[in-house]
Amino acid sequence: MPAADRQETLSARLRKLGSRDPRRTSSLLESPALTALLNADDAVDDLGLAADPDLAVLALSKLSETPSGARIISSIAQDADLRASLLPVLGVSVALGEHVIRHPEQLTDLAHRGTGPLPDRHTLRSDLLRGVGADPYMLEPVASVTGNEALDALRVEYRRHVLSLASRDLDGAAGMEQVGRELADIADAVLEAALAIGRAELPADSEPCRLAIIGLGKCGARELNYVSDVDVVFVAEPLAGGNEERALVTATRLARSVINACVATTAEGTIWEVDAGLRPEGKSGALVRTLASHVAYYERWAKTWEFQALLKARPSAGDLELGSAYVEAMLPGVWSVADRDDFVTDVQAMRRRVEEHVPAGEVDREIKLGPGGLRDVEFAVQLLQLVHGRSDVMLRSPTTLTALEALATWGYVGRDDAATLASAYRFQRTLEHRLQLRRLRRTHLLPDDDDELRVLGRSLGLRVDPAAELIAEWKVHQREVRRLHEKLFYRPLLQAVARLDSGEARLTTEAAGQRLEALGYLDPEGALRHLEALTSGVSRRAAIQRTLLPVLLGWFADTPSPDAALLGFRRVSDALGATPWYLRLLRDESLAAQRLAMLLGSSRLATDLLMRSPDSVSLLARDDELMPRDREALVSEALSAVARQDDPVEAITIVRGIRRRELFRVTSADVLGLLTVEQVGQALTNITAATVIGGLHAAVRSVCSSREAAGKSAKLPTRFAIIAMGRLGGGECGYGSDADVMFVHEPYDGADPQDASEAAFELANELRSLLMTPSTDPPLEIDADLRPDGRQGPLVRSLESYATYYKRWSAGWESQALLRAAPLAGDPGLGDRFMALIAPLRYPDEGLTDAELREIRRLKARMEAERLPRGADPTLHTKLGRGGLSDVEWTVQTLQLQYAHRLPDLQVTGTLPALLAEVDDGLVDAADASVLRDAWNLATRMRNAIMLVRGKAGDSVPLDVVEGRGVAHLLGYPPGATQQLIDDYRRVTRRARLVVEREFYA
Amino acid sequence: MNKQTEFVLRTIEERDIRFVRLWFTDVLGVLKSVAIAPAELEGAFSEGIGFDGSAIEGFARVYESDMLAKPDPDTFQVLPWRGETNGAARMICDILLPDGSPSFADPRNVLKRTLARAADLGFTFYTHPEIEFYLFDGEPKPGEPPVPVDQAGYFDNAPGAAHNYDFRRKAITLLESMGISVEFSHHEGGPGQQEIDLRYADALTTADNIMTFRLVMKEVALDQGAYASFMPKPFADHPGSGMHTHLSLFEGDRNAFYEAGAEYQLSKVGRAFIAGLLRHAPEITAITNQWVNSYKRLAGGGEAPAYVCWGHNNRSALIRVPMYKPAKGNSTRIEFRSVDSACNPYLALAVMLSAGLKGIEEGYELPPGAEDDVWSLTDSERRAMGIMPLPISLDQAIAAMEASELVAETLGEHVFDFFLRNKRAEWAEYRRQVTQWELARYLPSL
Repeated sequence: MPAADRQETLSARLRKLGSRDPRRTSSLLESPALTALLNADDAVDDLGLAADPDLAVLALSKLSETPSGARIISSIAQDADLRASLLPVLGVSVALGEHVIRHPEQLTDLAHRGTGPLPDRHTLRSDLLRGVGADPYMLEPVASVTGNEALDALRVEYRRHVLSLASRDLDGAAGMEQVGRELADIADAVLEAALAIGRAELPADSEPCRLAIIGLGKCGARELNYVSDVDVVFVAEPLAGGNEERALVTATRLARSVINACVATTAEGTIWEVDAGLRPEGKSGALVRTLASHVAYYERWAKTWEFQALLKARPSAGDLELGSAYVEAMLPGVWSVADRDDFVTDVQAMRRRVEEHVPAGEVDREIKLGPGGLRDVEFAVQLLQLVHGRSDVMLRSPTTLTALEALATWGYVGRDDAATLASAYRFQRTLEHRLQLRRLRRTHLLPDDDDELRVLGRSLGLRVDPAAELIAEWKVHQREVRRLHEKLFYRPLLQAVARLDSGEARLTTEAAGQRLEALGYLDPEGALRHLEALTSGVSRRAAIQRTLLPVLLGWFADTPSPDAALLGFRRVSDALGATPWYLRLLRDESLAAQRLAMLLGSSRLATDLLMRSPDSVSLLARDDELMPRDREALVSEALSAVARQDDPVEAITIVRGIRRRELFRVTSADVLGLLTVEQVGQALTNITAATVIGGLHAAVRSVCSSREAAGKSAKLPTRFAIIAMGRLGGGECGYGSDADVMFVHEPYDGADPQDASEAAFELANELRSLLMTPSTDPPLEIDADLRPDGRQGPLVRSLESYATYYKRWSAGWESQALLRAAPLAGDPGLGDRFMALIAPLRYPDEGLTDAELREIRRLKARMEAERLPRGADPTLHTKLGRGGLSDVEWTVQTLQLQYAHRLPDLQVTGTLPALLAEVDDGLVDAADASVLRDAWNLATRMRNAIMLVRGKAGDSVPLDVVEGRGVAHLLGYPPGATQQLIDDYRRVTRRARLVVEREFYA
Repeated sequence: MNKQTEFVLRTIEERDIRFVRLWFTDVLGVLKSVAIAPAELEGAFSEGIGFDGSAIEGFARVYESDMLAKPDPDTFQVLPWRGETNGAARMICDILLPDGSPSFADPRNVLKRTLARAADLGFTFYTHPEIEFYLFDGEPKPGEPPVPVDQAGYFDNAPGAAHNYDFRRKAITLLESMGISVEFSHHEGGPGQQEIDLRYADALTTADNIMTFRLVMKEVALDQGAYASFMPKPFADHPGSGMHTHLSLFEGDRNAFYEAGAEYQLSKVGRAFIAGLLRHAPEITAITNQWVNSYKRLAGGGEAPAYVCWGHNNRSALIRVPMYKPAKGNSTRIEFRSVDSACNPYLALAVMLSAGLKGIEEGYELPPGAEDDVWSLTDSERRAMGIMPLPISLDQAIAAMEASELVAETLGEHVFDFFLRNKRAEWAEYRRQVTQWELARYLPSL
């Protein structure tokens, strides 16, 4: 056969076997050093065992250049078993390939692999100790070599065992769990040998000590990776009668040498990092402590997550008796951690931490930390162990897969769920092992180039399109984990209340209660009753709810009141369950469902509004649906509703329905954090304005028809306008704000003044009764108390009467109140004329006289002393308290009264716009203004939050535990931080008060 | 239930304890106690014992008054003066709100929060107080001058002082039996005046110990027919009772104030800590010296510091850097000297720590030290050297504290607000008094 043809054939063969560079590989194979291989039967075909045949051949070629290369190649050519154990390793691991080339003598192990017993803990320990010349039968073995010589010896022996394990791993002889166990055993042996080196290097006069190395994390659980940090803690004791202080010095020195022996890089490379960071006080704590000192720390200081780390503690090397004493002393703490005060809060925080993911760029390649990754599984299993492990000792295995199996066996998670999760976990761990084998580096990022992915895929036995198959399979598992992660917690709760008996073990009611409590439910019994009601039966609704609830329960648990959320959901479902779109919406629009959960668990107001018309749920699916509508749209909807109805009562019912729907829209958007406090104020003002305008039209219709019925002219004898005052005028309404207004009328030329006045009164009264009559929609209180003479004065005045009154009687506080007047509804011309009439009062030409200023200050000081309700804490009253709304507003308004006549930019009705203008005009220092604005905003947000949480208005920061938690949540505080919120509120308002005392009173 | 709680319950059974006193401290530093039967203890450990917070100075207003006292099992001690049978024991409590979250009104929580802040910066705070107090013959009667138990002086061990030698021996035995180590004790400068120094401990333990200490001294004195008082300045002509407090920060096992070879072996951290204490000293004085009477001590000259300065072994300075002991790097510390024995130790240690941490965080520069006796300088000399006086009255101290964000943040707004209101009221009441001194001085001539 001509050489070119043969070349062609070999290349083609190699390509079929998986080679990406057959030309180069075939020419390597044809070099004289490897011809033995080429000539042997099947040897070339066996190259297909390698995930990367090119890499394997390259390694063989280098191997052939070693001193005994020819002999080695010929034994590989002859020994099919050796090929089967060697080629997979050479085809995956660059690092182990290099190792074999440096230490070809270790190939003997692989050649005899099939014959000997599997290495157990004891053989591994003996091998590693002998590797550094220590006698494994001594109680405290001491190395006979030191320094770099010892470190090199340790590395060579370590890698010999990794090589043998990798070979069994890659050809399937050792499963994923076996690999993890054996790697941990190798790690123990390495630590033991490192300790022997440390002992050899101790100064002669060192105080003797007992030192135990405790393995934590994956090492402790015997589910280690090829390369990851080995988590340890060190415990030491003096010998009986020894000096503790000096013994600890020795032990610390030994611990340092153990760490160094593993970490240091020598000619033979490095082993892995030893991480002692889980010790008490972390990196700043002492490296070695006595047992008593460990115990004292954990009893007093340790946090929940630190106990979680101890769950996997195991004596790993050194004095095993001391190590066992350590583990025994620690375990009770681990299993009672669920009794700790902050457990629920900690668990929530830990759950959130799971969901805070890796940098966005790497999410797509993260096996461990990404969504649906290994950590999700490990975390879920550990949390369930901590919750239920206290009362059930069967759940206490440190190993993830064993623990998961126990959870399934005893009914804490569903059997199928557990099986799916376990298979995803096995797949991901295997993937991680292969990835790390390649270069023996610590990584859990999938490679981003295709060739690497392909090798990885082939190492898992994928052959058709290895890279694409690998990614596809990984994604499937990832999705499963993501989905199941939540169901692990919640689905078993449904089984606990299910009447159907599947024959499978299921969560007991007691365990379900424990779990609900750990999730923050205060009334687990009630919760279980609701769950039963929601999921029992064979209806389609019950079936859909059974699939929805596991997810919803998790979202409820993220709200300040999971109990209220579940109850609310039951009520909404009772109302809407038969409506086809409702369940479809929840099922298909998970955003809507999540938002519903948040609303129900955070806001009584939103829940009440929703209960009045449950179909508003549909707004939650889309952000743009939740954005407040502008005033024009609202007014025109209200007006056309009124126009469509002949009956004013029918008309107002529709208008009030619009208001309720819009209030729900705004409360929802507010609770979900989509709006600023200014936007909320503006949106609520617009809703009130549209309601009043709609109401006035209905009232006009009603008054006209009753006039007609009374035989009068149907046409009104007078013009009528409504002036907005207070927060409504300022465009800063809160949820609890009444509509502050004044009514003004102006008889048409030639109209009978008496008739005009009567008609105007009727209008005002009709409007109030239409808007305030109790109905299923919330009433809008119309408050006209700011009118001349307050409640003693007539409800409506003519423009002329206002003019007379203001000319003769006006008091200082009236001018101040008029600062926020703005036309709201009715005859626009009349509104403008009213504004012109009051302009000289609110923007007086000469500002304020000293006497007037003094009077305002006195009035304010008296108000502070008298108006505050008995027993109210002035530091917590949002309206009249120190640094509260009234402090800020009086400061801003007094400056308006003084300067607005000559500084027209001060002629605005809103508090913050006016404050801003005062800064621009140099009347208020910018820093002071920002202190005032912070206080005003916080007090306003507080008032809104109180109303959202309680469903009714309140002036004081709530001290009630449940309300306080709800308010803190809405204001963006983490769970458990209510006291922090109260402290912050007092601080912000105290600072504002200092400014007020300087700016207003001085 | 952890081991310590088990230990407590077992001890109570074994030693036949009939009452367990739950201790906590009000905002003004007065010890409060609720006695419960051992049977209630398990509940107290898991949920706390409810009480009406509005009855406690500074805790709550009437309508928010439900509070819980939750014993800290690590503070369990049998009370030795109650005898061996049918004994009593005490535990110090944290104050919680009904939802189990710590109350910001609890002085112990104020200190804990400040310690947590230090821990976030990597520091633990160690302290060692030298507590001075007077022993009087029997309980003081209103209107009569108190009579000290002896006429001895500094370090005296004269025959006349045998009485209080016995007192100190008994007192120290009791303290030690309650796990409070005593470093040192001696007769102080005034007649009947004692000083007992407690061993170095972390600040929370120190504050708990000071509260216990004050009670033990009063109990032992009563037992011997005497009366122990921590009033800062009972006699115009004799020294007042201060509580010089040694402070140091540790980072892990290392003293963060120590730097080999630096001036006074004082590290950058140590220097900044002193600078922080100095700059904020006027603001924290209302806390460290909280009574009208406290300022009589500060006006007394001699060793009472009235000026904001520091010095090496300068006993008139506000802060003294003691002589460094070679080869004892971990003993590097500073001594803060204005604070008196009648302070609330939780709040006082919290504001001292906070002021020092501020210096570290902001990198304050340490002004030059003063080596002279600052009392002997003239006002102009002191002004020229940039040495400011501490507040000379409670009124001035209140004004300085009112403007202090540092104190507000350390105490929390609730305690800050209550404390100021209470102290303003105290000052207002004091202003209305007509004193013996005024009568003696003015009545004969005016």
